[in-house]
Amino acid sequence: MLECRNCGAGAPVDEHFCPQCSRILALGRHGDYFSFFGLPRKLVIDPADLERRFRDLSRKFHPDYFYNASPTERLASLERSSYLNDAYRALKNSVSRVEHLLAIEGLPPAKYEDPSTGSGQVGGKVPPSLLEEVFALNEELDEIRERRESGADPETLRARLEKARAPIDVKRDEHEQQLQALSARWDSQQSAPPAEKRATLDALRERLLERNYINNLLATIEREVASLAGGGQPATGGHG
Amino acid sequence: MGKVVGIDLGTTNSLVAYVDGDRPVVIRDEGGDALVPSVVSLGEDATIFVGREAQRRLLTAPSRSVYSVKRFMGRGIDDVRGDAALLPFRVSGEPGGVLRIGVADREFTPPEISAFVLRELKHRAEEHFREQGEFDFEVDRAVVTVPAYFNDAQRTATRDAGRLAGLEVLRIINEPTAASLAYGLDKRNRGTIAVYDLGGGTFDISILKVEDGVFQVLSTNGDTHLGGDDIDRLLVEMVLADLAGPRGAGAAAAGFGAPAIEAIRRAVIQAKWDLSDIEETEIRIEPSPAVPAGYLRRITRADFERIIHPLVDRTLDPCRQALADAGLQPKDIDEAVLVGGSTRIPLVRRMVEELFGRTPHSELNPDEVVALGAAVQADILVSGRREMLLLDVTPLSLGIETMGGVVSKIILRNSTIPASGREMFTTGVDNQTGVDIHVLQGERELAADCRSLAHLHLRGIPPMVAGLPRIEVRFQIDANGILSVAARELRTGIEQTIEVKPSYGLTDQEVERMLIESFEHAEADFEARLVIDARNEAESVVHATEKVLRRLDLDGAGSGVFEPGERERINSALIGLKAVMAGTSRETIHDWTHALNHVTQRLAEVTMNRTVREALAGRNVKDV
Repeated sequence: MLECRNCGAGAPVDEHFCPQCSRILALGRHGDYFSFFGLPRKLVIDPADLERRFRDLSRKFHPDYFYNASPTERLASLERSSYLNDAYRALKNSVSRVEHLLAIEGLPPAKYEDPSTGSGQVGGKVPPSLLEEVFALNEELDEIRERRESGADPETLRARLEKARAPIDVKRDEHEQQLQALSARWDSQQSAPPAEKRATLDALRERLLERNYINNLLATIEREVASLAGGGQPATGGHG
Repeated sequence: MGKVVGIDLGTTNSLVAYVDGDRPVVIRDEGGDALVPSVVSLGEDATIFVGREAQRRLLTAPSRSVYSVKRFMGRGIDDVRGDAALLPFRVSGEPGGVLRIGVADREFTPPEISAFVLRELKHRAEEHFREQGEFDFEVDRAVVTVPAYFNDAQRTATRDAGRLAGLEVLRIINEPTAASLAYGLDKRNRGTIAVYDLGGGTFDISILKVEDGVFQVLSTNGDTHLGGDDIDRLLVEMVLADLAGPRGAGAAAAGFGAPAIEAIRRAVIQAKWDLSDIEETEIRIEPSPAVPAGYLRRITRADFERIIHPLVDRTLDPCRQALADAGLQPKDIDEAVLVGGSTRIPLVRRMVEELFGRTPHSELNPDEVVALGAAVQADILVSGRREMLLLDVTPLSLGIETMGGVVSKIILRNSTIPASGREMFTTGVDNQTGVDIHVLQGERELAADCRSLAHLHLRGIPPMVAGLPRIEVRFQIDANGILSVAARELRTGIEQTIEVKPSYGLTDQEVERMLIESFEHAEADFEARLVIDARNEAESVVHATEKVLRRLDLDGAGSGVFEPGERERINSALIGLKAVMAGTSRETIHDWTHALNHVTQRLAEVTMNRTVREALAGRNVKDV
């Protein structure tokens, strides 16, 4: 329950305005982006509907409209707007949406420790399903680097990198489809036994881990391509 | 409560606007001019001149005059060395500290210089409201615009300038977004808009989605060091190279003083303007003590475009990056809008058109559209109207320095603001009660490559075993794009005090001190203001008198109109007033203005009657 700081009335945690005096409520310790938007905890979301909700709530919370309000309300407006913006960013993207679901369902974050080392090798714990691809890729990258340093033709090396990239791209597409299938399964399991739901969540988390790993592999290849083109200055960040 | 205005605080020119009924309008001077040059000049008797007057003084007293100060807002000495070389004023400062601008024997920080410009705009607006017969004409609040790509330090410096000018800055908004608001008034449509804003000193690109009156910025990018000033500088360097001959421009710059550089700058700016309308012009500098031989060179639009092409080209990468960040292709842009005086250059228009594949909009005056948008936003804030809402983004990622000088990002660029982020900290040794945090802004991986915003010192952590405290630091970027920080130790719930040392800005205490000093100077400033007002009035009387005399002479009717000795009396009053006008004695200027008014009174009545008679007789008044 939230307590209205204006009139003292109680309000359900997902309310934005006091049911009694209709003032904006302080945010409290809200944690569920789905319920904040008034949405069920489902992974398949209509982007147009989400955007409409975002606009409607923005119009309700935005600090522009609380310029003449009390300091308490202005603070509440700032907090709610910030939270709304964070929530929208998280739910808009299908992957961060899954990450948020896992977090509120109590699963540990799907992140490897230090997935990409500075050495250009892809480090960290390799997901078993990717062992073969990672092994082949690292071998190929080593060889390409060696040849680059001994002055081989960059175009030939670029073609080799493209070729090395192909099986990883295939893997990513596979994962994309698996994620979608699992998301649909989760949505259909709303009243299923907890153990079944948990199995779906675990599977989702596994796919995310693999996906992060695949993205790191692709980023490593991108860096190699960049060092062929730009003479050493590797591209930084910003993948996905 | 006083009045609320919108202010475009530009690199070269500034404007003030307000919402009159339901339309935003810019406030003009008697001559219909909306632009106040962002130039400040210190008179020999410490009078502060701002705007046209200060601009005139750039030629006569260049070492006492400051322009383009926006380039120095929120910056450090290391950032501006390149700029300072061709400017007539001294720039100094400690590395990592706030800049000082030396004018004659005084020193000012960039926010103080900007505050003079803001005060002038405030005054202009107050005069306007007073003339409108408003009882409550004081202007005490404003929305001020900044380039979208301004960082936290630059925004904070702008807000400080507002405070120093006696204005409550209701909101800092981004220039391209302000422009989109002004455009949005006319077209209540929906769609994806690219706003390309090339001003005097800065370049911004913003991609917006407009729907149901919500103007949502999807991404923004830019270069806070790219604008018309840079174009001028290329041309100045070209002229200097010509003047220097084989010795090279560097030697020439050393040999030519500030008055010469200023004369060259004016000549090339005129040529630049010409080339927006015609295919060929000349850069002409009349011989003067500063440039004894004078200068003349013909320049075609093609020459000009060849010279500035690399500069305009530099705007394209930010455009592509903004599109990529918004997840869009050029073909997804429904409309492109041009903002900023430099978008009058045909080459700029052509390149924007090529990039987005459509003819860009420029129906609204590109100099005025930002101020109009600021006025609309000011009105939204105070009036409670809700038809429109601006959702802007933070242009740069916010992060903190972690082990090994690597930046850990807490709020990513292009996040809708307000935005917040949390980070957990703990202690490294037993009973440690303080933690230092270095806050940075930028996209690079290493702290050394990002912009240092501030060092935070957390104090009052309850003594505990190392690693046990759980200190949650909350970073909040508000709707102005300005950061605030709060911290709490979660085990005890104790709120931490945070001491913020801004890297390139003023501390609150410094702003307070400057405010007090400005009150101390207020009397002198007020006097200076009265002098300028007196001078302006004198100018308009002189102008009107000379106009009437000229008309009478042209008509050949002069001799019949004057009474014996009248013409001579008018002439001597005219000469007398002109002689005292440049002085600083308000009383003297007033007395002579009064004298001229007095001796021309009869003539004014006569010509007025004549005008009326002729108008009644069906003749056009303009012919009189």
